[in-house]
Amino acid sequence: MSLAMQTEIKNKAATPAERLEEKVSVRHLNFYYGEYRALADINVNLYQNKVTAFIGPSGCGKSTLLRIINRIYDLYPNQRADGEVLLDGTNVLGPKQDLNLLRAKVGMVFQKPTPFPMTIYDNIAFGVRLYEQLPKADLDARVEDSLRRGALWDEVKDKLDASGLSLSGGQQQRLCIARTVAIRPEVILLDEPCSALDPISTAKIEELIDVLKRDYTIAIVTHNMQQAARTSDYTAFMYLGELVEFDNTTQIFTNPRMERTQDYITGRFG
Amino acid sequence: MDTHEHIVRSYEEELSALNNKIAKMGGLAEQVLGQSIDALEGRDPDLAAATIQQDEAIDELEKEIEEQAIVMIARRQPLAYDLRQIMAALRISTDLERIGDLGKNIAKRALAVVGEQQPKQLMLGLKHMGELALGQLKEVLDAYIERDADRALKVWYRDEDIDAMYNSLFRELLTYMMEDPRNIGLCTHLLFGAKNIERIGDHATNIAETVYFLVHGNAITDQRPKSDTTSSTPVPLRSAV
Repeated sequence: MSLAMQTEIKNKAATPAERLEEKVSVRHLNFYYGEYRALADINVNLYQNKVTAFIGPSGCGKSTLLRIINRIYDLYPNQRADGEVLLDGTNVLGPKQDLNLLRAKVGMVFQKPTPFPMTIYDNIAFGVRLYEQLPKADLDARVEDSLRRGALWDEVKDKLDASGLSLSGGQQQRLCIARTVAIRPEVILLDEPCSALDPISTAKIEELIDVLKRDYTIAIVTHNMQQAARTSDYTAFMYLGELVEFDNTTQIFTNPRMERTQDYITGRFG
Repeated sequence: MDTHEHIVRSYEEELSALNNKIAKMGGLAEQVLGQSIDALEGRDPDLAAATIQQDEAIDELEKEIEEQAIVMIARRQPLAYDLRQIMAALRISTDLERIGDLGKNIAKRALAVVGEQQPKQLMLGLKHMGELALGQLKEVLDAYIERDADRALKVWYRDEDIDAMYNSLFRELLTYMMEDPRNIGLCTHLLFGAKNIERIGDHATNIAETVYFLVHGNAITDQRPKSDTTSSTPVPLRSAV
């Protein structure tokens, strides 16, 4: 999708009451697994305090794109990206980027809940201790605040010493979101956060996303396009490593511009 | 009907916004109907013109409700009672829009008869019929807001009264026309006005059916008594001579 179309969408969405700020701008991004080009000339924005969903069939590159934004891909050999990913105007793909700082600013939650094998309290405090030296009382306050933001506090406040692994799947996922929030990131990346959860836990996470977007910029990758429709403000449809269409979510799900988007969301793919 | 709140609060807010729009639209439809009959009875061109104007707000709300319902179906994937709430809002908004149009038509007829000099007594039947229809409309909108299927069912049965009133008015106006051909102009307008009110009664009945469906998830199975026989009533023209 062209940059011109992006600008048009931005102008259309920006009402006098609401100006869209580009928190993350992906520009002419290509990504390679060895020789294989997994992403081709991606241009997309994540707007401040908005939820952007990435949908598309398996292998379309949506998770790959998310992994580039906080450079998780750096952990693996033979993977490289070119183009730009601007976070507040600074290219995070540059060689001088401090990766720890980047990952503190851009938190990520994965498909399978990944609590650390330690207490609920320490699951939250662990990441905080890496970045900040807080007195005990402040750390306690941070843990409580994070668990509240993760909509988990009421369920765990009496058992903060219990293992994070003793929680249910839905609670574990909210613990992971709370853990991400504890480091006070600016952007939260959610990679299939509900695919292992039942409908009630899913609804709780979706309500949480609604609340969290007031303070953070959120990107969510999901196989479940109904979830994209429910939770996001903007939706990007990707196919075979290309960004086919990006628009506000209502437009995408009621009247997409591209035939390929229409075919995908209506289950008509050839 | 008692339901628990949704976990996702914004969903709850959207449903309540949809309900509020229906309530607002219903209030406007009541106003248009009441004023159009007052305008006709009082031969009040200003009130008639204002009423015609007011119908635009109803049309605008119908569009808003339709847009919101489509977006909610696409984005919330409503099921069960939620799905019925959205379908009900779509159906009721269509009925209310028609009621607005019919009310507007009565107001236009009020403008057409402003210069007529006949005694206002001719209007009494129509006024009474209008009051009946207005009562039905108010009642069914309350039933919608309260999600009260029994109340809706009562409205549904009571439509018979409007039909009976329409029959008697039809005969009465025919008589006036036969008595004095100078009454024909006014009475023709009144006859159409009466027909409009009868149709408004039918739309109120539709809304009652929708409220019943909204609450119970199935249609009313009873047969509704129908008393509008005007379409098969011969007009005894020869006896007028």
